[in-house]
Amino acid sequence: MNRQFRPEAVKQMLNRSLSQLDEPTLAKLREARSQALECYQAQHAMNPALAWISAHTGWHSSSHHHKRHFWIAAVLLVACLITGIAYWQQATDNDTSDVDIEILTDDMPIHVYVDQ
Amino acid sequence: MRIRLLQYLAAFAVTMALAPAALAAVKPWATLTPTQKEALSPLAGQWDTLPELQQHRLLGVAKKYPKLTPEQKERVHKRLEAWSKLTPEQRDRAREKYKAFKKVPPDTREQVKEMVRQQEAEKAASGVPAAPAPH
Repeated sequence: MNRQFRPEAVKQMLNRSLSQLDEPTLAKLREARSQALECYQAQHAMNPALAWISAHTGWHSSSHHHKRHFWIAAVLLVACLITGIAYWQQATDNDTSDVDIEILTDDMPIHVYVDQ
Repeated sequence: MRIRLLQYLAAFAVTMALAPAALAAVKPWATLTPTQKEALSPLAGQWDTLPELQQHRLLGVAKKYPKLTPEQKERVHKRLEAWSKLTPEQRDRAREKYKAFKKVPPDTREQVKEMVRQQEAEKAASGVPAAPAPH
């Protein structure tokens, strides 16, 4: 009861136990590890976009705080992009110069096309 | 690296959002280029009073002006003032009519044009203004 808890001793005991494992148990452990690795790789292959983000932004290793900032910035970015696209769309709609120049140079007088 | 990438993307998005607004702002006559002034010279006196959208559209016309033939340039100058005096609704309707007329078969279009030419000639002969200025 008075024995003191020593992490080193626990570690040594675990190592000793590991060396005493029989071959079938070790084989099962290897198999389980192999399956886990395959599953992990399959998950990453299924979502290349997330893999790209992880690779280029280091997002996978960020803290919760940084993740929140990331998402706020991402939402702002998307909002800005949508606004920008809407403006450009409007600007494109407003560009009537092709038709205007054709009307202004047409051999028919303008009043033919104008409701009086 | 993550923050820098996001900063660049955010700056790009803000630029995209603000640039068209800047383009749509009113441009005083004094700030136009010599080429734009030459193209829009019939409107020099009233340019500063025109709405933003109309200025923006007329600048689009001015951009294409240098590529026109001398005859087309003269025609644009003759018509520009009357065109700018139309209401926005009249101009929109005229654009629609013009687009619709372009879809008419060429031979029918020629017949209509010939008819209009005859009417104009008759009006000119009878002393009626050939192309009444629309209001």
